[in-house]
Amino acid sequence: MQQANETETKAPAVAVDDLHKSFGELEVLKGISLSARDGDVVSIIGASGSGKSTFLRCINLLEVPDRGRIAINGEEIRLTERRGEPVPADRRQVERIRTRLAMVFQSFNLWPHMTVLGNVIEAPVHVLGVPRKEAVEQAEELLGRVGLYEKRDAYPAFLSGGQCQRAAIARALAVQPDVMLFDEPTSALDPELVGEVLKVIQSLAEEGRTMILVTHEMAFARDVSTHVMFLHEGLVEEEGAPDKVFRQTSSERCRAFLSRASHPQ
Amino acid sequence: MDFDWLPRYWPLLVEGFWRTLWLVALSGVFGFLLAIPVALAQVAGGRILAGLSRAFTTTIRGTPLLVQLYLVYYGLGSLMADIPAIRYGPLWPYLRDGFWYATFAFTISVAAYQGEIIRGGLLAVPRGEIEAARAFGMRRSRILRRIWLPRALQVSLPALSGEAILLLKSTPLAATVTVIDLFGAANVVRSETFLTYEPLLFVAAVYVLCAFVIAVAFRLIERRVPSRRGL
Repeated sequence: MQQANETETKAPAVAVDDLHKSFGELEVLKGISLSARDGDVVSIIGASGSGKSTFLRCINLLEVPDRGRIAINGEEIRLTERRGEPVPADRRQVERIRTRLAMVFQSFNLWPHMTVLGNVIEAPVHVLGVPRKEAVEQAEELLGRVGLYEKRDAYPAFLSGGQCQRAAIARALAVQPDVMLFDEPTSALDPELVGEVLKVIQSLAEEGRTMILVTHEMAFARDVSTHVMFLHEGLVEEEGAPDKVFRQTSSERCRAFLSRASHPQ
Repeated sequence: MDFDWLPRYWPLLVEGFWRTLWLVALSGVFGFLLAIPVALAQVAGGRILAGLSRAFTTTIRGTPLLVQLYLVYYGLGSLMADIPAIRYGPLWPYLRDGFWYATFAFTISVAAYQGEIIRGGLLAVPRGEIEAARAFGMRRSRILRRIWLPRALQVSLPALSGEAILLLKSTPLAATVTVIDLFGAANVVRSETFLTYEPLLFVAAVYVLCAFVIAVAFRLIERRVPSRRGL
């Protein structure tokens, strides 16, 4: 009985509760909550400055929230305060949890002094302790999947933006993360390169990966998400199934944002 | 032009050449190893470490190398000669030798100058690259070893190459504390043959060749990571 109960109430992959974050005087997050179960694809949309990137970066503690709680697979990240600044209570805990959360950045952030293959095997070999040979085999398979097998020995400086972002996705996949965090993965790309990256992300969503995605690609968010959050000035203005947010929203702000986003001047 | 003396003094010049090379190599390597903590203390150390490092850098860069060398050789050297345990100890043959005082002074100087260059390199590494490493759960020591420092050194290489050549050209100062380096050997030739220019021209050519080798070596290291630059 106890057993059955426990599996039914398996902790969500990501549970965020009442997150607050200020940068100096500016309050960027004013109490945001989110819960993502295994296999969920949560898209976060909103105007720039609405706090969506900050919120995503709080999940893996790249930004430390002032208030609120974050739990990954049921394990709460312990926070404390030092000289008036919020800090993680236990850096080792944060490092361990981060190995379960892979992030894909807007500006790729590949390591330019390593080849594409070097980038992909770096975290498996030097963080997870996977034997090099095994990591290389796995990395080559992942690079094949994102269409970069031929570029494995190239340095990032010699890749297009779309290729860089696909390499960054392979790098994120290589740690076999429980949850993938995407921070506007196509915003730095030339329009003709957006499609190749979205296609890769879509295939990940289809295989049931848990993902949290900050994006400006509205059609994409509508198609791949299980849940959509619309942020406005640090608060959740509207959220729910894509249909609800994109077609039946009662929020005037959300409607205005969506119409602006889908019909740029 | 009279180069008849060359065969006669060849062994002396070769010995001086090797001494110059050792001076550059030892103070270059140890100075570089010291420069890394000097730079890190300012970029990532606490307030106290950063202050100490800044004071060190300002002092060393603010005083003439020749003055430092004299202070080390005549100051530290005579101080140690007054301590019987050192004066009659097994290390005295080394502690008497100007070579080690020069190596020490050059090492400190390199640590200060290269420290500033590496500090600039550390600051020049884009934040996002460090963030990506943190996001993968990498520990701080490992981020430093695998990402931050290699990238900072890569950025600093052109400037470090210049510093290495400056170091080479500073080594003749060692001749003022009795070290017969390449320049010291030339001085011996000058005083014994009464020739003014020929020995100097000869060692000048050797210095140019050494500088060239250093520049090429650094360029080869730079090329290990191909980059794409240009307008």
